[in-house]
Amino acid sequence: MAFLELQNVTKTFGDHTAVNAINLTVQKGEFVSLLGPSGCGKTTTLQMIAGFVPLTKGIIRLDGRDLSNVKPAERGLGIVFQSYALFPHMTAAQNVAFGLEMRSIPRSDRDQRVRDALALVGLAGYEERFPRRMSGGQQQRVALARALVIRPQILLLDEPLSNLDAKLREEMQIELRQIQRNLGTTTILVTHDQHEAMALSDRIVVMNKGDIEQIGSPQDTYHSPASAFVATFLGKTNAFEGEVQVAQGGISRIIVGDHVYTASAHIKGPVIISVRPERISFAKAGLRGTVCTRIFRGNHWLFQIKTIAGVATVIRQNDGTSMPEEGHDVHLVWREEDTFVRANSKVG
Amino acid sequence: MSKNGFISLLFHTLFVTFMLAPIIVVCLVAFTPEGYLSLPTNGFSLRWFKAIGRYPEFIRAFWVSIGLGALSSTIVLAFAVPAALGLARYQFRGRDALSALLLSPLMIPHVVLGIAFLRFFTQFGLSGTFAALLIAHIVVIFPFALRLTLSSATGMDRSIEQAAISLGARDWVVFRRVTLPLIMPGLISGWALAFIQSFDEVTMTVFLAAPGTETLPVRMFLYIQDNIDPLVTSVSASVIAITVLALIILDRMFGLEHVLTGHSDRTK
Ligand SMILES: Nc1ncnc2c1ncn2[C@@H]1O[C@H](COP(=O)(O)OP(=O)(O)OP(=O)(O)O)[C@@H](O)[C@H]1O
Ligand SMILES: [Mg+2]
Repeated sequence: MAFLELQNVTKTFGDHTAVNAINLTVQKGEFVSLLGPSGCGKTTTLQMIAGFVPLTKGIIRLDGRDLSNVKPAERGLGIVFQSYALFPHMTAAQNVAFGLEMRSIPRSDRDQRVRDALALVGLAGYEERFPRRMSGGQQQRVALARALVIRPQILLLDEPLSNLDAKLREEMQIELRQIQRNLGTTTILVTHDQHEAMALSDRIVVMNKGDIEQIGSPQDTYHSPASAFVATFLGKTNAFEGEVQVAQGGISRIIVGDHVYTASAHIKGPVIISVRPERISFAKAGLRGTVCTRIFRGNHWLFQIKTIAGVATVIRQNDGTSMPEEGHDVHLVWREEDTFVRANSKVG
Repeated sequence: MSKNGFISLLFHTLFVTFMLAPIIVVCLVAFTPEGYLSLPTNGFSLRWFKAIGRYPEFIRAFWVSIGLGALSSTIVLAFAVPAALGLARYQFRGRDALSALLLSPLMIPHVVLGIAFLRFFTQFGLSGTFAALLIAHIVVIFPFALRLTLSSATGMDRSIEQAAISLGARDWVVFRRVTLPLIMPGLISGWALAFIQSFDEVTMTVFLAAPGTETLPVRMFLYIQDNIDPLVTSVSASVIAITVLALIILDRMFGLEHVLTGHSDRTK
């Protein structure tokens, strides 16, 4: 049975629907990310789970229990905010101890658990520091320790790493993942960074304008996006205009520019064919184009190639083979299973 | 060298001179040995400071002012805190109207308030009482306390309180352990500003005070109507000395720029 269950959850502000009848189940111990662009309703969803924003419609269940009459203070959730939200007038240890005090944990036990929690996030020895005398990353760790020390049913993270610089963010991602795997705490992370979502989660929930576009593992959402939005949001993709014609025997002919191949398409007429840049390779025959730019990126090459179906982006691993140079003609091919075909509504 | 140009330097010098000159002159005159208002050219004398002791009504008026200021500022704060938190946090119908209403005493001339209150308190048989003074002062100093409390309440990050709630704190505990410490600088400055406003108020108070409830400014105002001697300057100098002392203590305890603006580095 699902540990956390959102059923038909809706939130409207005036006549604006921030979250539109979403359904989501989270298993115990799972790490789920809510991923989407700014304003798509991620924070609102998290705040509804936390109990700070009342639901317009729908129901949220935690471990089978309806949460609608459970106050935020009684839900037993750990929250880490984007702004850290540490208590500035308390030391790191006092911050972490706050939740234990509220639970009337005896003093000696409390001190031990505070020390353990700070050690867990790598801040042993920082007990007496005040937040304003700590770096962003250290404050972030205190916030995490404060949320974890109460052994929360669910850990809610609202863009916890977005205020850190790129290098620190990557370190914290790895650390966060390790801590979460070790403790087995059910975790929901809000982020607009697809790399972060893919690096950390068991499953990704891609949201757009209050709707859920797709729920799936990082690999699934990346390789088999359920919609054009998911395809473009989860990293770079090429979108070629083409056409599907039905040939004999249920087999379709797909025409992209001067490249024609057969495949099993489920639609016909004008289409858009998406292919990830790293899934395109060079061959003797295929979609013809000219290399306009070639950029060396150390472990890979990045090409911009002009074709009659549009400009294509291609990424090739730097495996030591020789690569086409700028101005050279090339032919592009891709495998059928690496494409995502959808109707092109702009044409006919 | 100074980054300011000559004109701006001149302007600031003139401005500061203009502000400080009367205060300095008053303090100097207070030390005159003569029986009339003059700068002490023939040596300093404490004669007029000693003279204060012969006028117990000045001492009593001083204590009335202190008591009135402290009491009214404290009561005002008890109303200003919930009002500020409500205005800062909730969007509701009539919010702007309510905020305008609470700040409106700022816009009414004190002489008008004085006459209106006099009429009002006479009606209820309260005129000349300390209670009447207290009510009137509460009304006029409320906007000052509200302004500063409001600025620290709006500057506060809501998620800090949400963090406390999520950790299991009840409303009252959140207020006492988190909200109150965070808005404390605003409260202290609000209280201080309200106190100063109350202590300073004369235009309205002169209508409402009776012998026995006269505040210090009213007492001085009435005194200079009949006498022209350096006594008022020595009283003024004493008040200035007390004020300076209070500011030094405030600065030592809280840092003056925080107190005067109501902001603190802790709310961010
Ligand atoms: N209190 C509110 N009143 C009115 N509208 C709101 C309120 N809170 C959020 N919204 C609106 O609801 C929508 C979703 O907001 P939300 O904060 O959930 O977005 P988000 O996905 O977290 O975005 P971001 O990545 O920018 O944080 C936005 O269009 C926002 O303007
Ligand atoms: Mg958000």
